[in-house]
Amino acid sequence: MRDAGGARALPPVRVERALGLLADLEVLNPLRALLVSISRPDERTMWSSSGPYLTLGKRGVEPEELRRHLPPLLRSIARHVEALYYAYVEALECRQRSDGAGAAAALLEAGHSEEKFGRLAQALTWYENALAVAEGLQDRRPELRALRSLGEVCLALGRYADAARHFQRSLAISEAEFDQASAIIACEGLGDAALAQGEWAGAEAWYGRGLRLAEGARDARGMGELERSLAVLARRQGDLTTADAHLRRARELVESVGAADAIAQVLNGQGQLDAQLGRHSAASATYREALAWAQRAPRDAGLEVSIRLNLAELQLETGRFLEAEAELRRAEQVAIAENLTSRLVQIYTLMGKLRGQQLDDTGFVFFEQAIELSQALERSPTIEARVYVEYGLFKNQLGQHEEARAYLERAREIFESLGEAPDVERVESELQRMSA
Amino acid sequence: MLRFLAVATEGAAGLFQGIKQWAAQADVELDCVTELPLAVRQLAAARWDVVLAVLGEQPEGDLAWWVDALRGAAGSPRLIVAARRPSMGLALRAEKLGVVDLLTVPLRRDDFERALGRVRSAASEVPIPLPEVKSDAVGQYMLVGQSPAMVEVYKLMARVAPSAATVLIQGDSGTGKEVLARAIHLNGPRAARPFVAVNCAAIPENLLESELFGHEKGAFTGAVARKIGRFEQAGGGTLFLDEVADMSLALQAKILRAVQEREIERVGGAEMIPVDVRLLAATNRDLKEAIAQGRFREDLYYRFAVVTIRLPRLAERGDDLSLLTAYFARQFAERYSKRITAISDHALDLLRHHNWVGNVRELRNVIERATIVATDETLRAEHLPEELRGEERALPDRPQGALSTLAEVEARHIARVLAHTNGQIGAAAEILGIHRNTLTRKMREYGL
Repeated sequence: MRDAGGARALPPVRVERALGLLADLEVLNPLRALLVSISRPDERTMWSSSGPYLTLGKRGVEPEELRRHLPPLLRSIARHVEALYYAYVEALECRQRSDGAGAAAALLEAGHSEEKFGRLAQALTWYENALAVAEGLQDRRPELRALRSLGEVCLALGRYADAARHFQRSLAISEAEFDQASAIIACEGLGDAALAQGEWAGAEAWYGRGLRLAEGARDARGMGELERSLAVLARRQGDLTTADAHLRRARELVESVGAADAIAQVLNGQGQLDAQLGRHSAASATYREALAWAQRAPRDAGLEVSIRLNLAELQLETGRFLEAEAELRRAEQVAIAENLTSRLVQIYTLMGKLRGQQLDDTGFVFFEQAIELSQALERSPTIEARVYVEYGLFKNQLGQHEEARAYLERAREIFESLGEAPDVERVESELQRMSA
Repeated sequence: MLRFLAVATEGAAGLFQGIKQWAAQADVELDCVTELPLAVRQLAAARWDVVLAVLGEQPEGDLAWWVDALRGAAGSPRLIVAARRPSMGLALRAEKLGVVDLLTVPLRRDDFERALGRVRSAASEVPIPLPEVKSDAVGQYMLVGQSPAMVEVYKLMARVAPSAATVLIQGDSGTGKEVLARAIHLNGPRAARPFVAVNCAAIPENLLESELFGHEKGAFTGAVARKIGRFEQAGGGTLFLDEVADMSLALQAKILRAVQEREIERVGGAEMIPVDVRLLAATNRDLKEAIAQGRFREDLYYRFAVVTIRLPRLAERGDDLSLLTAYFARQFAERYSKRITAISDHALDLLRHHNWVGNVRELRNVIERATIVATDETLRAEHLPEELRGEERALPDRPQGALSTLAEVEARHIARVLAHTNGQIGAAAEILGIHRNTLTRKMREYGL
């Protein structure tokens, strides 16, 4: 390969090597994210025997391209820092003139800015400060806003007990203030927190309460989303008939308000249900329709990847390996370009599972990549433990029982330390099945 | 009659009015849809021959979406797209993605009919029976090919297989290096022992050493259990190191030591473990160049390259392409419980004119996909991937150079005439200007 000047062009640097050079500092996270998003598969490997095993680490990055992308990245970092600093000064000025509501609003704004930048833990700190200011005010609306933001960010961080605590307070205040919209959101948040912790009865009660409030407020979109949440819950409990009924109602409701993103989400859920019911072609068509709606909604790469992952899983279950792989590669492209690391972990886990079904032991590279990503970029023990579960099942499929058991035991340890009861139960049953 | 689905979400009324008139006179069964989700449901509910999609404000995104949506649709419908302001970029993209035609909105009858004509000409492809393939089994793999270039490979393989010599297999991506390595193993004295393949480029650098040499439990983070490495797994048999150019220099040194000393040490282990393996190595890179650049050890190169076999690219293998196509079509038809007996003349032309960067692996992939989407016993152009169909316009009007043999041209022409006469041998013989008995003999000869 030669460049225009006739000199030999240097090959791109592999992402695994590039990341190895980058110090593990929080301040470098935007650079790390940029490096991943501009990486490209090495064209020379496309048809080579390693091509089917290509992962993020084996993609290439051009230092020159990274350099070209630095100025806009640095400008966006500067804008973000500027927004934080000015939000703080704004809060300070509000405090000086005893405008508590203004101070809380400025601090919340800073938190939202952190969230947009993907810094959830930092956003949490700003929201806590905002709450501290808002708690002393006569007007309860700033406190409600702070509690809602705290609840949502805690859910996203997997801190479900904290999320439930914030939503509980938010519900009490919104009921006292006759703020129905906030009460609906709080109920939904409480339901989500309960669902994530495997508290089925609690989740059902909260979603049900939210639904009644939304019906009272004639909030079709809110009702639709709660119906969808109830369907998710019913599906987790194995009550597929009820899940179907909830999804049908959810679809009618969100279609009536023409909310493309909500329709796509409902269809994504419907596809999962159809798949669970063995209605494979219906599930495939539903996922494709969900993709069509997602295309029409404001860009939500996470939703698109989620649908593509579900579609790939369906194809995997029905033995359509080629199509599953193609779908996973499409999802991978979106996830890399949009820096959706946790999705990338799911994608590689599923790719490993696909190789396991083909009894291809080199498939272990996908699990290793998924583990590395969950440790280095995502830093989520729950996600890491889920990879270990699938890795263990993969090893078991290949007859490597000792390693299989070791991975499952490791997953169990992590789940136990996090208090994730449903996952511990699942791992226990896999271990028992392995021993049988 | 062609089944035609027209989809337009904006300005549909006027557009559909015209299409309905033209379709009625063009023997087309038409359905018009104004909502995207409804169109997706229609695609799932019935088989369509053609979809005309009017692209919206973001035509490139819409185009990609349509190609994606049609990928899984029953009957592999052909895609015609229409855009209000088609740009050169859109035309190039559509061409690349195998779109039948890109029309301009408002639609003109001539353009519509021209696009239909292109779809219909694709439907008149002539099936050519797949040739019988004599292949040499290599475990679950096969060595297929009778070209002089491959015969040379077979001869060299036959000479080296019985020895214990290390062999370096060179060849572009997808030429079949691993299959050849398996053939050497299975024809050698270690055939009853394991054949273990390691793809050095697929495995993360930090794990390759433990993959090759194994590790003890707790040797590093992630070493959850003791692991037996590939050298040990291949004990008494053959270890095939694929894509060796991708190994780091540090690992190359360890491999060299293992080859010289015939013993290895597990990562985190304290004892030396004797190993007895025959090494086969492969690469798609130029190792001598890598040596010159200081990326590959010269001493290791000479250890690997005791004998070197170079595999030819698919383009250098003449009509092996037809044999490989037939072999893969039968293999995948069996896997997917289908019956494939022929390939259309047009599809074969497309395969012959494609630049097979990925060689046999790419061909295998293409035939697997075609077999999955084929709806009858013939693989047709419409079953080939968009990239290949996009090359349709680059096809010459008639075969050139050494791409087809005379017998193939004759077989194809006879098949075409027989299709024209609905299989009537007498009428076909008359058109061809040969005796009926001669035609019958040729039909038998060509398997028609």
